[in-house]
Amino acid sequence: MSLSHLDRRTLLAASGLAGFALLSDRANGAVKLWSSPALAQAGDGRVLILLQLSGGNDGLDTVVPFADDAYRRARPTLGLKKGETLPLDDYRGFHGSLKALRRHYDAGRVALVEGVGYPDPIRSHFKSYDVWHTADIRGRNAGDGWVGKLCDAAFKDVRNPNLVVHVGANVPYSLHSTTHPAASFVNPRAYRWAGGESETEAYEKAGGMEAESDPRAKPKKREGESSLDFLRRVLADGQSSSEQVRRAVAAYRTPIEYPPNEALAQSLADVAALVSGGIGARVISVEAGGYDTHTDERNRHDQLMRTLDAALGPFLDDLGRSEAGRKAVVLVFSEFGRRVAENGARGTDHGVAGPMFALGHDIKGGLYGKHPSLEKLDDGDLIHTTDFRSVYATAIERCFAVKHERVLGAKYPLVPYV
Amino acid sequence: MTARFTLLAALAIPALLATARAQGEPTPAVTEDIAPDFERIWNARNVEHLYNRAGFGARPAEIEYALRQRPVVFVKQLLEGFAPTSDPLFIDIPEMPERRNYEEREDFEKAQNAFRAEERRVLTSFAGWWFDQMVEAKHPLQERMVLFWHGYFTSSTRDVRRTAAMVAQNELFRRHALGNFAELVHAIVRDPAMLEYLDNNENRKDRPNENFARELMELFTLGEGNYSEQDIKEGARALTGWRTTDDKTASYFQPRNHDDGEKTILGQTARFDAKGFVDLLLAQPACPRWVARKLIVHFEGVEPDEARLKEYADFLRAQGWELAPFLRKLFLDPRFYREEVRAERISGPVEYLVGSTRRLGITVPPQILWLGAGQLGQRLFDPPTVKGWEGGEAWITTSTLLGRGNMAGMLIGVVKLDDVLREDPLEIEPEEGMMGGDMMGGDSMEAESPAKKGSKRKVDLGQEMSGLKRFTSEMYFPRINLTARMQRAKVARDMQIVDVLADELLPVPLTEASRAALLTFLRAERSTLSLEDGKLLTAGVKGEEVLRRLAHLILSLPEAQLG
Repeated sequence: MSLSHLDRRTLLAASGLAGFALLSDRANGAVKLWSSPALAQAGDGRVLILLQLSGGNDGLDTVVPFADDAYRRARPTLGLKKGETLPLDDYRGFHGSLKALRRHYDAGRVALVEGVGYPDPIRSHFKSYDVWHTADIRGRNAGDGWVGKLCDAAFKDVRNPNLVVHVGANVPYSLHSTTHPAASFVNPRAYRWAGGESETEAYEKAGGMEAESDPRAKPKKREGESSLDFLRRVLADGQSSSEQVRRAVAAYRTPIEYPPNEALAQSLADVAALVSGGIGARVISVEAGGYDTHTDERNRHDQLMRTLDAALGPFLDDLGRSEAGRKAVVLVFSEFGRRVAENGARGTDHGVAGPMFALGHDIKGGLYGKHPSLEKLDDGDLIHTTDFRSVYATAIERCFAVKHERVLGAKYPLVPYV
Repeated sequence: MTARFTLLAALAIPALLATARAQGEPTPAVTEDIAPDFERIWNARNVEHLYNRAGFGARPAEIEYALRQRPVVFVKQLLEGFAPTSDPLFIDIPEMPERRNYEEREDFEKAQNAFRAEERRVLTSFAGWWFDQMVEAKHPLQERMVLFWHGYFTSSTRDVRRTAAMVAQNELFRRHALGNFAELVHAIVRDPAMLEYLDNNENRKDRPNENFARELMELFTLGEGNYSEQDIKEGARALTGWRTTDDKTASYFQPRNHDDGEKTILGQTARFDAKGFVDLLLAQPACPRWVARKLIVHFEGVEPDEARLKEYADFLRAQGWELAPFLRKLFLDPRFYREEVRAERISGPVEYLVGSTRRLGITVPPQILWLGAGQLGQRLFDPPTVKGWEGGEAWITTSTLLGRGNMAGMLIGVVKLDDVLREDPLEIEPEEGMMGGDMMGGDSMEAESPAKKGSKRKVDLGQEMSGLKRFTSEMYFPRINLTARMQRAKVARDMQIVDVLADELLPVPLTEASRAALLTFLRAERSTLSLEDGKLLTAGVKGEEVLRRLAHLILSLPEAQLG
């Protein structure tokens, strides 16, 4: 990794200046890109990608402690045997469907942090998500989402509307920000004002303003600016931001095959295009649902793991094809794990701690944290061994060169996965 | 705006307004405590402004109607409603399944899932009913105030998880919408949804929970800086004992969980209970200031200066917290009509969609408005935080601004959600420097296959967008005839069409820059059809289509987002 990697970095840092040339083909210049937004910002330009597994992923069926007697006792019908897993060592193995993830693990692209959670855990989906999204036990009472706070700390004067992007229907509260609202779309191709060509010309003219090339101005309404001028500015920004996003996706060519009929894989294919397309996004969020496996977990969780693997496998390969992609860090998390013992419906109920994954080409793969004891439980639940904010803290410091206390409000020991 | 004045004189007044209460009545006894020259500013622009703020925008005939009333009479009607409101929706409350009634765990799970689906369905019907009330506007100010209180005394279905409680809270806002603020606060500390949302079920004598006491002071009555952390602790003790039934459909007082000891709150020591605590808060000088400021900022969109805030706060207290006189004073205040107030307020998604629906004069399945507002950042019954919706400029992001235009296009019928979601027509050839992947990646260029263009992509739309797609594709055909509308207005030439349509569809006047852009568009489209100026309305469906695209443009303008 070391030498060739360094060379590659130095080279690309220089060639990255070409980013200035990524201007629109419109002769009149009405649509401009921000001057190479990816380069001018905090940290070394790493993109952080957040993948949320909604519903409470069963950590014990993702990274399986097959050698633990307590596991087999607690999961008489759901438990996986060693042969049904992809063993990492004598104790644990990936769920048998996570084949591509295992391949990336062997290549050092997967950091597995075990037993991640927080004190006084909440078992409500919504409220626990609020804790993860605000990095604060008070949830939404604590103010903006943690990415919003990160933007305040790292990108105070940056106004690129594509700085934070959510690919999906519902913007998670983590991106909630009064100063850096996220651009969001279920499909980047649909991120546009849907008028015909001549309407669009009039629409842009009625905005009456050009998108500004000054990325240092604030995204908020300015002192003394009228609401109408503010709206015109956002309209121009919207047209420009929309064109950048669609252009990045339309121009993207990749030999990597993603499964065509799977929404998560398709969303991640779009994310790969956005990362490589120089739109200036520094945080991109994606959500995958369906993890609330109270019943029939064997079938349902197997399917979830297959879908996840089929999406993450090609995605990581694809990220490896561009410098921005290779520097990207992907965090995979869920609002809670599930209870250790299976319930009476061949499923599992809401629990607490679970594993978190950090993925990427430029991370230090391997095992982090400590597997929680399956013997010493808190009312049938695992006791977390790593606070999730430690995992955030590392990403905040390494990707954005910001002291994590400024974002998280307290100090947490870092997990050195990157 | 003079254009509207003359044009509208020709229009008929709808039956609804013809039967409105005040029609034909002798001049009602209203106090004449308004600025002596107020009638001089009673013009179309200001009447529309009042409709924008006190309701959800105006149709041309409604402006005409208001102009024929004396201001005091019209404001009285606003406060009382123009027509009797519809009966409240009969809510069939699904029963919450209990584990003990099910032998098998799986059956219980199934019953729970069915229950949640039914809950969602009931909430959708109720939200639809509410949107109908806003569009029908028999009592627009009441609906406006219900929406205001929903964002002021927030509770969210995400946390409450009981439709019956959310509906009951909405009905509470409805009863007190224009009533008495003190009574509303007393009612809200017993409201099941609020008790659940702010964790008062967990607020017990032996283990107080401060959440409700904190928000009651910070957001509902005093505002930050007017109480101490110690006041919150003591206030929480006063609220102990109030809780909901397990199914959250009712609240009750449980004496054994109430702490009836002495508390010192805001410098006063007594054995405060919930009622005593609320009375104490209402007696603070900060309270009328807080409420007056919230109301003025909501209706005017800009902060009041200190003198005006004091005047209104004092008035609210002097009126014994009655809201109707307060709003009457505001709507008859010439300062409410100053340019800064008329021009600076950005409308919320509900106001934008309901207002556009009203101005277009179309009938829309209310679910479309509900789901659409959610997509644009205002999901009713689910405010993002206990502070409600931030409002103002926070409504507008690149995504929501583009989205507002698309929603308007959908209402008019020129934009199909399916088309928006399908592949973008942007034809792009790869350029140097825009290739995915770089030379260092190790994959040779030859190996790269073109992206799968035009292939069916599976996209997870989520519940709201899927619902919107279903409603707009299967249930919605816009009943709209802009050609007839222009003919009725007796206009035919490009410039007149732009002026009249923009005037009717926009909440505020069209700016010159926008007018020029619309005119250029209309001229170009007319030329494409090889029609002379003045002949567009003779072109049948082709002309109608141009008018609809023009309407879509108008509702996408920056001007359309104000009001």
